[in-house]
Amino acid sequence: MSALTELLAVAEDRAGSAQGAGLPVVGCVGADVPVELITAAGLLPLRLAGQPERDHALGDRYLGVGVDPVARSVLTGILAGDYGNLEAIVVSRDCEASLRLFYALRELHRVEPETALPPVYLVDVLHLPHHTTTRYVQARIGQLRDWLGRWRRIGDDDLAAAIEAHDALRQALGRVAVLRRENRLTGTQFLGVVAAATALPVATATDLVERLLAEAPALPEAGGTRVFLTGSSHDGPAVYERLEDNGFFVAGEDHDWGEALFARTCAAPTELALAERYQYNGPAAPRASIRQRATHTAEAARACGAEVLVSYARAGDDAPPWDFPDQRAATGLPAVLAERQPYGELTDDALAAIRELTTAGVAR
Amino acid sequence: MTGRLASATAATAHQREWFARMREEVEGGAPLALVNADAPQEIFRTMGIPYVVNQWWASIVAAKRQTPRYLGLLKERGYPDYIEQYSATSLASAFETDPAQAPWGGLPKPTIVLGETTGDASRKIFDVWDAQPGVTYYALESAAENAVPERWWELMPHRWEEAIGSTRLDLMTGELTGFIRYLELTTGRVFSETRFREVMALVNEQQEWNRRTRDLIAAARPCPIAVTDGIPSVMVPQWHRGTEWARDAARAFHDEVRERVDAGVGVFEDERLRLMWIGRGLWFDLDFYRRFQESHGAVFVWSMYLAIAADGYLRYGDDPLRALAARFAAFSDQLYTPPWSSEWYVKEARHHGVDGVVHLVSDDARGGYFTTRALRAAGIPVLELHADNVDARKGGDLTSQLSAWLDELGGGKA
Ligand code: SF4
Ligand code: SF4
Repeated sequence: MSALTELLAVAEDRAGSAQGAGLPVVGCVGADVPVELITAAGLLPLRLAGQPERDHALGDRYLGVGVDPVARSVLTGILAGDYGNLEAIVVSRDCEASLRLFYALRELHRVEPETALPPVYLVDVLHLPHHTTTRYVQARIGQLRDWLGRWRRIGDDDLAAAIEAHDALRQALGRVAVLRRENRLTGTQFLGVVAAATALPVATATDLVERLLAEAPALPEAGGTRVFLTGSSHDGPAVYERLEDNGFFVAGEDHDWGEALFARTCAAPTELALAERYQYNGPAAPRASIRQRATHTAEAARACGAEVLVSYARAGDDAPPWDFPDQRAATGLPAVLAERQPYGELTDDALAAIRELTTAGVAR
Repeated sequence: MTGRLASATAATAHQREWFARMREEVEGGAPLALVNADAPQEIFRTMGIPYVVNQWWASIVAAKRQTPRYLGLLKERGYPDYIEQYSATSLASAFETDPAQAPWGGLPKPTIVLGETTGDASRKIFDVWDAQPGVTYYALESAAENAVPERWWELMPHRWEEAIGSTRLDLMTGELTGFIRYLELTTGRVFSETRFREVMALVNEQQEWNRRTRDLIAAARPCPIAVTDGIPSVMVPQWHRGTEWARDAARAFHDEVRERVDAGVGVFEDERLRLMWIGRGLWFDLDFYRRFQESHGAVFVWSMYLAIAADGYLRYGDDPLRALAARFAAFSDQLYTPPWSSEWYVKEARHHGVDGVVHLVSDDARGGYFTTRALRAAGIPVLELHADNVDARKGGDLTSQLSAWLDELGGGKA
């Protein structure tokens, strides 16, 4: 089986793949969970994805229907046991909905013990670009490290090894992003590869990704109008597929189930550098300033040779629409904001508006 | 029946005078800050920098029915008009196209906006401010904690370090230190610690009066003031906290309530059901709160404004800056994060001897499920009104839902 086929099979069944890897699995919510620490404690970090097509009534009940549907879906999945046996759940503060999800889990623990949840922990990684924030994030990371000591004490060497392992995976994924830019992978395939990499032990994931890189010359050429996708993050392929079934090629994105997950590595194999890596990773829509986002989007769109800019804003995900006017101006590309989109869907109207961009004179 | 509170009339008049004077000061070149309700306003107070509270201004705009026009100004600029409308209203004022229509002569342009990075959209709203010429957004972190203190309202006045946690307080104190330096550099004004200690002491005095007032109302039968009447008496002084005027206004409010209680005055003499209101107010239908007095003897005796003033602000201690950090570091936990919030609502419901709670659950209600659950587990009946059926056009609906529930509670057959 080719590495790509294997990776995409993992992406299809991320929870099953993680559970089959032979390590206790820790569910992680958000891209701000320092997975290095979980690896260093001898556990497998599985980033939890929602399932748009699944009913999420339980999540609605505990979180309220105004919260980002991804969080409602993940909470439903946790309560229904969709992710298999989780040794623990670590939640990050990557967006407001994740924080609310943490509060709901913490409270369910207290008042509805019959839900039999694993231990739940919040790691409050913050992002203002200030030294005070670094000190805080480092303290929080140190506290998580202590907490994980109940599984296995994390020595400095363990931590250094885990940081190096995860950085190696990040660098390999960076080369996969280049492959996609060279039209060797579709956006949908790329998204699947990244999703698989957050469901496997880090060494296994790195091996597979390296094999994929070696197979690159044999891959068929992808194509279509080159889209840079900004806005909400995509924990499943549906929107990418819809775009790519309609003549577009998602050549780049700036959300954290895509390139923004691995863009930054650690400056040193230390707890402090780990804190800085998470503090400065991004800029993510819910956490970064409009200015940072616009600058980043413009650079990233240029790097992948985008012809059009599409901002996809899921209903309940409040940040992306505010970023859009400046992103459009900064990229200078024909641009569309697909607002208030249902989770895991691109509406017909939104697709039609995106198509307008190409008929309105984009070269192709 | 009771008349309007003198303290509410005085507060509203003061607010108008203050606003006019502030406009003059700003026209004369003074800096102006725009801040969120839960920001550390005490720093501006200490340095003599005038400030306007974002949410207060939004309420003035709403009262003048200008909100839709303002949100339209955002939309024209490509910004969403459907996200955090309350926080976005003041921003829209910056794009005013028709000053003749602006409430109170209009909001002067601030030089600095201060807000925590809570929520996903609120910091973006401040970013748009920051892009306006002459305006700087100073962002403060908003931090969260794993551990939950028990009975935070008992810990907060003196043992806040324990309630909030040192990691958060270290960060927030660092944030405030940096912020003071920023203001010193950019405004040339002085941050005197002697003055700051006075400000902190005045705020505590003010909230001690609010605490006494809350306790008076909790114990009084019948309820001496209409729940909506107390709001300006508490909130206007809250925006001026750290001044003698505000402290004295809180005291005047207290004395007025005291007199009513002593004279046996009640909102409704034949009070049979005492109700608590949780959630944002039905500002389009304030009469709603009195509608069930004749029919069911039902009187609303509680809303969050006085109660959070009583329990949420007191912070004593030798290190005033850390105490101030402790005032705002967990402010939204107190009101919105379960179990901080839910346990507090239960405690307040018991303290006020309520027979039932009407809980307005909006789509994005934080911890709504757990609030209702905690109250019911404590044996307190709860009626949940869902925000999707709460708007001005459907007021009738609400009335019948509440009536039916009150019938069940037993208020119908006196
Ligand atoms: S209380 Fe102080 S700030 Fe408020 S209006 Fe009076 S003098 Fe001005
Ligand atoms: S209700 Fe919440 S958002 Fe509104 S002023 Fe109070 S703390 Fe701020």
